[in-house]
Amino acid sequence: MVRHTDTPLTGGAVLFRSRLRSVRLTSLLGVALGVTFVVCFMTGLLSHLVQHPPDWFRWPSRPVGLYRFTQGLHVATGLATVPLLGAKLWSVYPRLFAWPPIRSFGHAAGRAGVAVLVAASLFQVVGGVLNIAHWYAPMPFFFTAGHYWVAWLMAGAILAHVGVQLPVVRAALSRAAREADADAVSRRGLLAGVAAAAGLITLTTVGQTVRPLAGLAVLAPRRPDAGPQGVPVNRTADQADVRARALDPSYRLKVTGPGGHADLDLAALHALTRHTAELPIACVEGWSATGRWSGVRLRDLVTLVGGDPERASVEVESLEPAGRYRTSTVAAEHVRDPLTLIALLLDGEPLHLDHGFPARLIAPNRPGVLQTKWLARITVRGLA
Amino acid sequence: MRTRALLVAAGVLLMGYAVAGALADPDLSPGGVLIFLAGVLVGHDAVWMAVLSAAGATISRYVPEERRPAVRTAAISAAAISFVALPLTPGLGRSAGDLALVLVLIAGAALLTFVPRRKDSERPRCSRSGGRGR
Repeated sequence: MVRHTDTPLTGGAVLFRSRLRSVRLTSLLGVALGVTFVVCFMTGLLSHLVQHPPDWFRWPSRPVGLYRFTQGLHVATGLATVPLLGAKLWSVYPRLFAWPPIRSFGHAAGRAGVAVLVAASLFQVVGGVLNIAHWYAPMPFFFTAGHYWVAWLMAGAILAHVGVQLPVVRAALSRAAREADADAVSRRGLLAGVAAAAGLITLTTVGQTVRPLAGLAVLAPRRPDAGPQGVPVNRTADQADVRARALDPSYRLKVTGPGGHADLDLAALHALTRHTAELPIACVEGWSATGRWSGVRLRDLVTLVGGDPERASVEVESLEPAGRYRTSTVAAEHVRDPLTLIALLLDGEPLHLDHGFPARLIAPNRPGVLQTKWLARITVRGLA
Repeated sequence: MRTRALLVAAGVLLMGYAVAGALADPDLSPGGVLIFLAGVLVGHDAVWMAVLSAAGATISRYVPEERRPAVRTAAISAAAISFVALPLTPGLGRSAGDLALVLVLIAGAALLTFVPRRKDSERPRCSRSGGRGR
């Protein structure tokens, strides 16, 4: 599991004789991988903060498509990392068989650190791919929490690895080392191959959020136009076990605030002033799609029950009997935004049951899992 | 030296934070995370790399040297695309509407790997090209 690049090959490592491998190649791949990991870490951390905001964190409602961009970038970069990580690990694989396996306490600690780094990197990339494919059986843990904490583990392991390898990388990337590299041409070919693979993966997946490339998105788990009313669905009404409750003629949306409460049936909801907004559903899995949503402004409902739409936060609750995302909090920034709607229509038609009929939340710049569907209750609270 | 020490110290601190956070997270099964960490590590080092090494050795042995860069590129692309596409196959991750196209892409890339094959008599000698590994 040790892949140090600053020592000559010994033991079983000498069996790997490819001249394509070199400290310089490993360093170049490492730098590229470092960039992709930083992008993934920062955008992933941002997504975590948006979904689990601590007291100090404020997420704006504008620009409308900011989360769509950051999360699309997160997934696209993660997928492009696949060939980069593969090539990086290939370039240092012979070091796994170096002999003796442990030379000192420091050497053993270094090997352990590299093992953590490699395992955490593979964990993140493999887990991420499985997640966007909705294949959770191989992962015996809650993906979101595991992905988050192992990201921190990987970030720490990267920092320690850079600290250990810094002189080696500097020397390998120096001008003198570049000029002395007799196999630079063939290595450039390998790097071009890795770049081509990363480009191909990006081209065949990024269409899940970049609409003009949707036709090329043959490897994307979702297409932005595939689904009821032309918008994808992650969790259907049947999966959420809400069909009977959502179609119940006695349905009422219960709105509670500091000045009273209102029970609104569908006719009453449709009688309120209706507004229309073009907003994206941006899934944490990287796909996104824009819809033309019509319904009641959330701030109008806050006013209806005596709340202050400029300062209030709101808790919305779904008809779902259970589930991690059956409730969500709408912070003041989003409540006061006139684009935040309790949507009743999509593209002028009543919401499809899988899109949250009879009513759902749709707000600008918010992850899809927080755009609560099949609304049952809205509770207006004080400051967010 | 000081920068390196700071980087290592910061890295160790972050790893400690990750472990403490994971252990304290009620949504997380640390045992499951450990199993998956070990699984991907062993799967990569013992299985994936063995397959990759065999493919590389095959390319070095049978593909003329001038064609190796293109073949390597095709092989790398095929491996990476297969890795991304595998979870999309029916019965594993989802029912793939585009499975046929996905498989064609994989097969095409894999095919490219072996198309520029030389006759046995034209194989490069091991003492020169063969010694370069892949």
